[in-house]
Amino acid sequence: MSSNEILLMAHLMRRVGFGSTKDELNKYVKKGYDNQVDEILDLEPNYEVSTHMINRYQPDYESPMGSSANGATWLYRMVWSDFPFKDKISLFWHGIFATGYAKLANGYVLADQIKMFSNYGLGNYQDLLLQLSKDPAMIIWLDNCESHKGAINENYGRELLELFSMGTGNYTEKDIKEVARAFTGWTIANKDYMTAKSQRDSVWPYGRLAMHFEYKEDDHDGDEKTFLGETGKFNGEDIIEIICKQKATAKFISRHIYSFFVEDEPPVPEWPYKKPNNPEAIEALSEVYFDKGYNIKEMLRFLFKSKFFKSEKVWNKRVKSPIELVAGTLRITKEFHRPDKEQSLTNSHTQFMGQHAMNPPSVEGWHWGTEWLDSGTVVERVNFSSSKLGNVNNLGIRKIIDNIKSNISNQFTPEFLIEIVLEELGAIIVSKTTKETLNDFVKSKIDSEKDLTDDNLSEFLQLVGAMPEYQRT
Amino acid sequence: MTTSFKIESRKTMGIAAMQGRGFYYPFDLSFDSNNRIYVLGRGHDYDTRGCRITVMDMNEEYHGTFASFGTQDGQFMWPSSIAISNSDKIYVSDEYLNKITIMTTEGKFISSFGQFGKGDGEFDGPNGLVFDNENKLYIVDHRNGRIQVFDEEGNFIQKFSSQGTSEGNLYLPWGITFHSDDRLYVSDWGNHRIQEFTTNGEFVRSVGSKGDQEENILHPSSCAIDDKGNIYISDWGNHKLKVFDKEGDFLCSNRGEATLSEWAKDFLNTNVEEKEARLKSKLVFELESFKNDPFNESAHIEKLFWCPTSLTFHKGNLLIVDSSRHRIQVYNKVYKI
Repeated sequence: MSSNEILLMAHLMRRVGFGSTKDELNKYVKKGYDNQVDEILDLEPNYEVSTHMINRYQPDYESPMGSSANGATWLYRMVWSDFPFKDKISLFWHGIFATGYAKLANGYVLADQIKMFSNYGLGNYQDLLLQLSKDPAMIIWLDNCESHKGAINENYGRELLELFSMGTGNYTEKDIKEVARAFTGWTIANKDYMTAKSQRDSVWPYGRLAMHFEYKEDDHDGDEKTFLGETGKFNGEDIIEIICKQKATAKFISRHIYSFFVEDEPPVPEWPYKKPNNPEAIEALSEVYFDKGYNIKEMLRFLFKSKFFKSEKVWNKRVKSPIELVAGTLRITKEFHRPDKEQSLTNSHTQFMGQHAMNPPSVEGWHWGTEWLDSGTVVERVNFSSSKLGNVNNLGIRKIIDNIKSNISNQFTPEFLIEIVLEELGAIIVSKTTKETLNDFVKSKIDSEKDLTDDNLSEFLQLVGAMPEYQRT
Repeated sequence: MTTSFKIESRKTMGIAAMQGRGFYYPFDLSFDSNNRIYVLGRGHDYDTRGCRITVMDMNEEYHGTFASFGTQDGQFMWPSSIAISNSDKIYVSDEYLNKITIMTTEGKFISSFGQFGKGDGEFDGPNGLVFDNENKLYIVDHRNGRIQVFDEEGNFIQKFSSQGTSEGNLYLPWGITFHSDDRLYVSDWGNHRIQEFTTNGEFVRSVGSKGDQEENILHPSSCAIDDKGNIYISDWGNHKLKVFDKEGDFLCSNRGEATLSEWAKDFLNTNVEEKEARLKSKLVFELESFKNDPFNESAHIEKLFWCPTSLTFHKGNLLIVDSSRHRIQVYNKVYKI
């Protein structure tokens, strides 16, 4: 069985990214856990396949006209990155600030929003909320472009408080209206033309156009407002500043971070009625939020080095989201080392499993945890991972099989084979029941080294892909 | 007395359209002997209807479409280039299916040749196509880093160049152009240069160097040569048209000056709400985020080139396939004394 150091590193890499191979884990362990955490947080990723390369073969991946290509572009960045942490962070924020194609009908502005999450998602939360409030996709999604001086639309103001910062129960209906007033004049340039194109799903005459923020002073309500007990001629920046210094905001964002990186919390609408799984961890993260000036990266540095994150109790406790499952599997199989038409089809599997990137079901985003699993999605998930892991023609699987054959040497036993396979796939920990199932399979098919054929190992890897443990992170 | 040289926008043709009149990610075009233009649409994985050939002329008359997405005869998966022989047969390269399809100008399938491989007559991603004046077909076999030469029936004649970065080598080349002095110009996309060869495959010289400055090029997709030997390059990675003189010295560049095509005007005239909203809009502006990011700038500013994929001279007009904007920009060269 893998050492505790390897198992802990495997846990870290599954949570900060989409899992690592045995070779990668060995390399990271040599660096030391804390050093690895710091590198993940501080290094910029490199991508095996460049933007130019993608765009040459699949022009819609970088200049998306439709609803799916932008998600595919993002998925393959997760696969082709040496450290996909920044894409994982974008995925985290996308789940919270869920914005969808259904209303925008413009893939490019959604792709721009994801880039914004990547650029600002590890910085100061105040800056992130400011960028979010200026983000064209969000401005259209929550109708802030329809909120005017003297005729406010409360949609963005309400969600900014309810879903993006404090959570219900921490403000009044009057506060919502005051936020909406403060954000009047925050719109997009050429708003009438851009919204007309979105509403009509128009690609004419020459395709979609990217959008940008515009502040209209003459449409801003500059009168006095009272928000959370403070009074002044507030603009949007002032509102965000007040929001960020609230304890409720610190706890709200800490709970989101805990839920995404440590263990699944119930869906957000239940938070006012259900205590956090680990109130002490939320409290500790909230303290870091204030001590480090609302800095998300420092909150994560604290979290990844904390006892509650390292605890074996939370290993493999989260259900992989469809994007995590597909990206993690493709990083193992390494089948798309260059742009390929099959990528688009493969990306569609995340949708079949219930997570269509950049097209969430509502402003609430997706409900994570066991809600990913139903009779239909489980079949889709198992079929996907089994078929991918069982394909010996995939470069990554070929290498794993070759490693298994060479490592087993003359020491074949069913237990040793199982151990080697689980190590190769990223130090997966399995239950006693699962191990018995794997053992039964090996005993029925593989008596000795001579039975280590591609066909038998393919079948074995398919079985691993179908295990409940493979579906968890 | 000095002579200044520049290129001026003449007009824009086409419109974005998944089907029927228009294009969807056009990649290339070619003229037949009747001056009809055959525009090759790439389409994309999530909407394959754009994978077709649209027929039109310089007066923007629409003459129909043919071909479609698929693996059957006369269908394409990733079509990348189109050429028309002296006898008006259409040749289309498909870099996914690794074959060349031959069709009539009415869209009737004649035959196809090629399969995946490294041998003679085999391909790994056939891209640019061009005929010389002896009706020999030159095919950019891009992932094999070489040029293969065939007769009109698809019989292999010869090959030259190999994958690499040295002079005369190619790395993921894209377009190819024939010039009447028996020269071939290959857009060496991966090496950021244009390479000139004789029709026998002897290396002559290379033009351009990697970069984002005026005198540089980044991932060129195509080039065209005028009657004075000036070299026009679709600087795909910088989203510009670049012109170098016959000695290879930089002359001028253009970032794109698209106007409304007749088809675009038709659309706006029948969709008045969009037309009125558009008329009130400021479609050209400056943003901080445009610095060092022409891709992003092109995504915002509609008139600019966005991934130009092909250049063709025809009767004094330079036609530029402006792929990610689904249109053709037409330019003329102007000498001023």
